Amino acid sequence: MRLLTKSSLRHLLHHRMQLVLSVVGVALGVAVVLSIDLATRSARTAFQISAETVSGRATHQISSEVGPIDERLVARLRNEPGLRASAPVVEGFASSALLPGQALRILGIDPFSEGAFRPFVVAGPAALDVGSFVTTAGGVVLSAVTAARAGVAVGDSLPVLVAGRSWSLPVIGTLEPTDELTRTGLADVLLMDISGAQDVLDLAGRLTRIDLLVPESADSALLLERIRALLSPGETLATAGTRAATMAGMIDAFDVNLTALSLLALIFGMFLIYNAMTFSVVQRRTLLGRLRALGVTRGEILRVILAEAAWIGVVSSGVGLVLGVLLGRGLVRLVTRTINHLYFAVSVERMQVEPALLVKAAALGLGATLLAALPAALEAASSEPRLAMLRSVREAKSRRMIPRAAAAGVVSIALGSLLVLLPSRSLGLSFAALFFIVGGLALLTPAGALLGMHLSRPVLGRVAGSLGLIASRGLMRSLSRTAPAIAALSVAVSVTVGLGVMIQSFRGTLAEWLDATLSADVYVSLPGPTASRASGTLPPELIASFVAHPDVVGHSTYRGIDIVDGVGAYRLVALALDPRGEETFDFIEGNATTIMRAFQSAEGALVSEPFAFRRRVEVGEGVEVPTPMGPQDLTVLGVFYDYGSDQGAVIVSRELYDRFFDDSGVTSLALFVRAGADSEAVVQDLLTRVPAGTTVVARTNDVLRTASLEVFDRTFEVTAVLRMLAFIVAFVGVLSALMALELERARELGVMRAWGLEPAELRRLVLTQTGLMGLVSGALAVPMGIALSAVMIFVINKRSFGWTLDMQVGPGVLAEALGLALVAALLAGVYPAWRMSKTSPAVALRGE
Amino acid sequence: MGVTPAGKGNGGGWLLVFLAAALLGACGGTDRASETRLSLAETLAGADTAGYERALAPRDFDFPADHGPHPGFRTEWWYVTGNLTSTSGRDFGFQLTIFRSALAPRIPDSRSAWATNQAYMAHFTVTDVSAERFHAYERFARGAVELAGATADPSRVWLEGWTIEGTTSEPFPLRLRAREGDVALDLALEAGKPAVPQGDRGLSQKGPGPGNASYYYSHTRMPAAGTLVVGGDTLAVSGLAWLDREWSTSALSEGQVGWDWFAIQLDDGWDLMAYRLRSADGSTDAWSDAVVVDPLGVPTRLAWGTQIIMESTGTWTSPIDDAVYPSGWRVTVPGHGWSLAVEPRIPDQELDLAFRYWEGAVFVRGTGEGGAPVEGRGYVELTGYAGEAPER
Repeated sequence: MRLLTKSSLRHLLHHRMQLVLSVVGVALGVAVVLSIDLATRSARTAFQISAETVSGRATHQISSEVGPIDERLVARLRNEPGLRASAPVVEGFASSALLPGQALRILGIDPFSEGAFRPFVVAGPAALDVGSFVTTAGGVVLSAVTAARAGVAVGDSLPVLVAGRSWSLPVIGTLEPTDELTRTGLADVLLMDISGAQDVLDLAGRLTRIDLLVPESADSALLLERIRALLSPGETLATAGTRAATMAGMIDAFDVNLTALSLLALIFGMFLIYNAMTFSVVQRRTLLGRLRALGVTRGEILRVILAEAAWIGVVSSGVGLVLGVLLGRGLVRLVTRTINHLYFAVSVERMQVEPALLVKAAALGLGATLLAALPAALEAASSEPRLAMLRSVREAKSRRMIPRAAAAGVVSIALGSLLVLLPSRSLGLSFAALFFIVGGLALLTPAGALLGMHLSRPVLGRVAGSLGLIASRGLMRSLSRTAPAIAALSVAVSVTVGLGVMIQSFRGTLAEWLDATLSADVYVSLPGPTASRASGTLPPELIASFVAHPDVVGHSTYRGIDIVDGVGAYRLVALALDPRGEETFDFIEGNATTIMRAFQSAEGALVSEPFAFRRRVEVGEGVEVPTPMGPQDLTVLGVFYDYGSDQGAVIVSRELYDRFFDDSGVTSLALFVRAGADSEAVVQDLLTRVPAGTTVVARTNDVLRTASLEVFDRTFEVTAVLRMLAFIVAFVGVLSALMALELERARELGVMRAWGLEPAELRRLVLTQTGLMGLVSGALAVPMGIALSAVMIFVINKRSFGWTLDMQVGPGVLAEALGLALVAALLAGVYPAWRMSKTSPAVALRGE
Repeated sequence: MGVTPAGKGNGGGWLLVFLAAALLGACGGTDRASETRLSLAETLAGADTAGYERALAPRDFDFPADHGPHPGFRTEWWYVTGNLTSTSGRDFGFQLTIFRSALAPRIPDSRSAWATNQAYMAHFTVTDVSAERFHAYERFARGAVELAGATADPSRVWLEGWTIEGTTSEPFPLRLRAREGDVALDLALEAGKPAVPQGDRGLSQKGPGPGNASYYYSHTRMPAAGTLVVGGDTLAVSGLAWLDREWSTSALSEGQVGWDWFAIQLDDGWDLMAYRLRSADGSTDAWSDAVVVDPLGVPTRLAWGTQIIMESTGTWTSPIDDAVYPSGWRVTVPGHGWSLAVEPRIPDQELDLAFRYWEGAVFVRGTGEGGAPVEGRGYVELTGYAGEAPER
């Protein structure tokens, strides 16, 4: 056994290039999986820590589904005997020029109520000076770390922008929590007295929530009932963290998608191992045959090969972990950006490297390596002593395998399609279907490649003469190695194509939707803490002044409030629609004119496609919406396409909204400009009407459209990066497979040299071969990619986010596929071709 | 009640230390919390007196207005203590105090109803003599959004559900209500004797220098009747209560470490208020004061050390940290023939709250006016013996 290990080590060291490439492939796969895991987990953890830190030790929370709650509830609660503690909270988001790109959480508290709740408020060497905290108008306390980052100290002012209004808030203290968790949780918090927070957030008279301490006891259920009796309609009492958990749950689908993408990279890595191990077994067939003849048992050979794989797995996983952590640091920013855009404001101060995630990734890497090596090991162990020495046996076997593989492929695709057709909404099932289809297509590639070679022979003969024919025949003869390489290259390219088509379709759909939706000429809103998140309400006098502009001939107003209920979050929108804007909506079914007439006469609500999908509501059914006057059952008049949010929206006419909500606020304003007037000039003119200290975002529909697409591109950056990473792994795989393949043919090429083939001709032969493989792979990848994108667009996207997308396949994507495959294959041929042509025939033939 | 602040040379002293300590300490007694207490206490106690009103000259109290708040001064309290007996003969002591403290001279500029410069703290205790149980609770709130506040008309001081209020716009009869857990008190108080201005016509000088004084008056004998809920029983109770009203901005002198305050109601109709400000070396500070009130309500001031002599006759050790308090006194007023033994109704009446002090019901026996045998009841407050010493 010692000897066997030695022999195996020697072999690996002799084929260093192959070894390095295998390690790189698996390491990259592990790195991608780990980095995505780390990034999404960090974003989730940051959100939860932040939520937990600001809720402190509260056991329950009173909040309202329909906006802020009445502050007078606090005094009523305080008279409730048995309630140990209650703490009012006013919360909202802000940004600061000194902390660019960070959404800051304003946390307004009453220090007199705090003792029991948020220890960081009253403990620690830098605890609050209650006197100045309460009596310094607009005073803020922030964590020492954040203060240092912003470059402010006690006594300075922190410039802050909240809902378009600029404030200069005196810094009256810093917090230096002693524990790491609190430090992390406070990184984005601006602690203010409740009075200052109400001023800055424009929430006079209102609270975001009330934290309660109701310890579990025999009477607690009764007490909670008594508290519930004090609540107004819309106000809810829930255990602390329920809301945060619902919010955190919003990113589940997004998370699953990223994880699936990252697994793809690992699967490509597995292919690499499969290929390398198979190849190294093929290379050693003589040696293995001799060993078997000398009495080494099958079990021993199996163990040796698996031990090799295990070592490669351990090393690559180790490298992968390091790479993954590094990569994660970059990805966490991209992931956070997407989450900020689509779901909720979160800032990730530090990537959390949880040991469990490292263990998981390492186990995945090792397991994948062993699994990928298993066929090769079994192959090596199962061969008869003498037969193992014959390569022709293997090749013959491979030839026989092609129809069987193709049949298995067809079955796999059929299975995948069946899964797709199941009326389930399970994402796991969808991805399983996708993997079955991809796997099936991969199994079909050898047959496809063979067919491709046959078809290309006449062309090759004409173009490249006998060399071309030799190249093509050579490939067909060494199918045991070329087929996996071709399959891998086509799958890699097809995934790239699939993702490309998906993103392109999404973007195209969004662009068309924006064209239809942005029917007004100028849009006005307040800047939010993140680019896409509007906050606060426009000052009424500003709206009046804008609407009165001589070039403005009509306007629509939009009021959005975020509602979080047991299912998730969505936006309730009150729309006062100008007749010019009635064609804004594109309905999935039904007559738009009829629907809009019913909408305008306040007969019900419009719901977005993701909303209808998530909550399984259809036109004509009712949807229950919480209001300050109690829940209202609204009839769904129509379901419209909406790509603004995957959480969904419910739109009612302003008239209907005003019946239930005591709220005259307007979140954004759409203006219609007189025909012939220059929208851009109107925007400039409007901005001069904005008073100092207020920031308003006014954009023409062109600018808004461009900005929206930019946001889209940024949102999909992480997908694009993953697409690229997956492709890199696949590319490394193909590179290593093809290179090994050509290098292994040293003797065959040596014979050709001896026959008189010039080095240049040899180079051409090698490059023709790899180029041919590239072309075939590329050609196969196009239909595969389109099939994949169809599954992703119509099944996975729909099930994850509820969006219907138009599939848009541009010629660019197809050309890209062919180009990518060809370039990858040619690149892979360059080194072997150069080496072969440099080697003298004598050396190459020395083995004889 | 006694008096004032003790902390350091200027300052709203004890009350501020009280408030600060209490605010911080509310979260628990860790070492870190006590560090914090001190730092906060210093911040508050050391605050500038600029911008506040000062007690500079004697004052003709104007009732009912002066029952209401004086927000221009930094500190103020409504301090009610008393001894009650149930119809079945069980004895009880009670304390309900609402403290007001200005955190800044002015209300911050804000549209919010929460904006205020006034903080409130309240203590509520019940001494259950026969059960030997002492119940003590505290609350805090800002003087805003109906959580806490004080008004002269209607006459009302409250912190959440704990209230001291007149039944009409007149302060008397005064109604006291407090409830915490299973302990509740609801009492009606008659004015009894007229208000007694303490010190020099209401100006109670606590240290050298103008302004180091408070305005201080007392209702020394208020008949009380109502309901007490304690130990699972709801009892009809009656007895005598005592109201101290005091407000100031700075009142202290150097080196005062605490005080012993006595409020005694004798069965012969005489009352005694006495406070001894203690210096760091244990001696009696020169600004200590005392007054006897005759059955008709006419006060006579007494000079410490000559007209009133007080000796401690025993000690009590706190189980919390072995802090030693005096417990039991011999009080002599030679000019009136008084010689009284003062004993706590139960030894442990220490308020282990964010700020620690001893305040409890006492029983009095001895000779009263003219040397005649007499009994009586009262309340004693002892500060500066335990917990953090007032700074330095």
